[in-house]
Amino acid sequence: MKSTLLTMTASLCGLALLVGAALAGVNILTEKPIAEAQAEARRQAIAAVLPEFDNNPSEEAIVTPDGLTLFPATKNGEEVGTAVETYSDNGFSGRFTILAGFDRDGRVTGFRVLSHSETPGLGAKMGEWFSAEGTSHDVTGHTQPFTLKNHGGDIDAITGATITSQAFMEALNRAAEACANKNSEP
Amino acid sequence: MNALRIIFDGIVKKNPTFVLILGMCPTLGTTSSAITGMSMGLATLFVLMCSNMAVSAIKSIVPDKVRIPVYIVVIASFVTILQMVMQAYLPSLYATLGIFIPLIVVNCILLGRAEAFASKNGVFASLCDGLGVGVGFTLALTLLGSVREILGTGAVFGCQLYSADYGALLFVLAPGAFIVLGLLIALFNRLYNNE
Repeated sequence: MKSTLLTMTASLCGLALLVGAALAGVNILTEKPIAEAQAEARRQAIAAVLPEFDNNPSEEAIVTPDGLTLFPATKNGEEVGTAVETYSDNGFSGRFTILAGFDRDGRVTGFRVLSHSETPGLGAKMGEWFSAEGTSHDVTGHTQPFTLKNHGGDIDAITGATITSQAFMEALNRAAEACANKNSEP
Repeated sequence: MNALRIIFDGIVKKNPTFVLILGMCPTLGTTSSAITGMSMGLATLFVLMCSNMAVSAIKSIVPDKVRIPVYIVVIASFVTILQMVMQAYLPSLYATLGIFIPLIVVNCILLGRAEAFASKNGVFASLCDGLGVGVGFTLALTLLGSVREILGTGAVFGCQLYSADYGALLFVLAPGAFIVLGLLIALFNRLYNNE
């Protein structure tokens, strides 16, 4: 078609209207399923890192001033632990987030890596590495402070991924700190 | 016959990865494993078929001077729809591919096919072209992902062929993508030109 000011304006405006309406429609249709899928994914992650509980931790979530989210879990009204959504900005490829579970005494009950962009085969191994049972790099049952061996602690870093390991410790310490603060308050 | 010809051309003669060398960013970025490569290919296939059909359908009412913005808007809206639908109904796949989905918009295969084929041909022929090129892209990405995963970790599609300890990690990392891609392009052209 010939390009005149009128046809160009009309076709671009028409297209924008049409596409905008289509996207709004799809958004309305998918809004609820998306929210449900995200809530379900979070519920599963919380259930995986904590001992059995019978409340809905997502509903009682507390957001700390430094951006962590705490999910307190209770069973028969008794506190069984807290899942903390924590992060580190010092990963090898930027921010990663993990969900870590702590029991009432601050021991790690489990963790899940929620999102990361670490190197495949090196830093990306952190999920398995720090939960490998019976090794010197298993953080399960460990309490604060989380320190790597080369910094005088007792946790082995991932071979070839020291930066990721340090960032992982930072995230865990931050989570444990937030957890302890929450417990010390009434 | 003609439709089959167009599809076959898209897979072999105009294979986007091995012959046209288009869309290298997603090709290199998503093929660290076979499954992510294949998913990226399938997502692109879907968007390519939709955008080719839409561009072909509106080609006569789009003024020449604004055709590129129009194509981009069409492609971007299909990508956004795909992203929302995937997030709602395939959350686990979305978690793996999430960051690559918006990048389909800037994949030059889509704009390339819209400009080179869909804007000159009918709706059905454009659908066939989208299908052919999309399948060609999917096969290429799956092959590249499989080779990298086998060499790097000894596994493919969750099936362990040999111990991961003997894998060459290089192939899972970025340099390995370039090396394997180069070798596959050479191999493909060797086989194809011998026919």
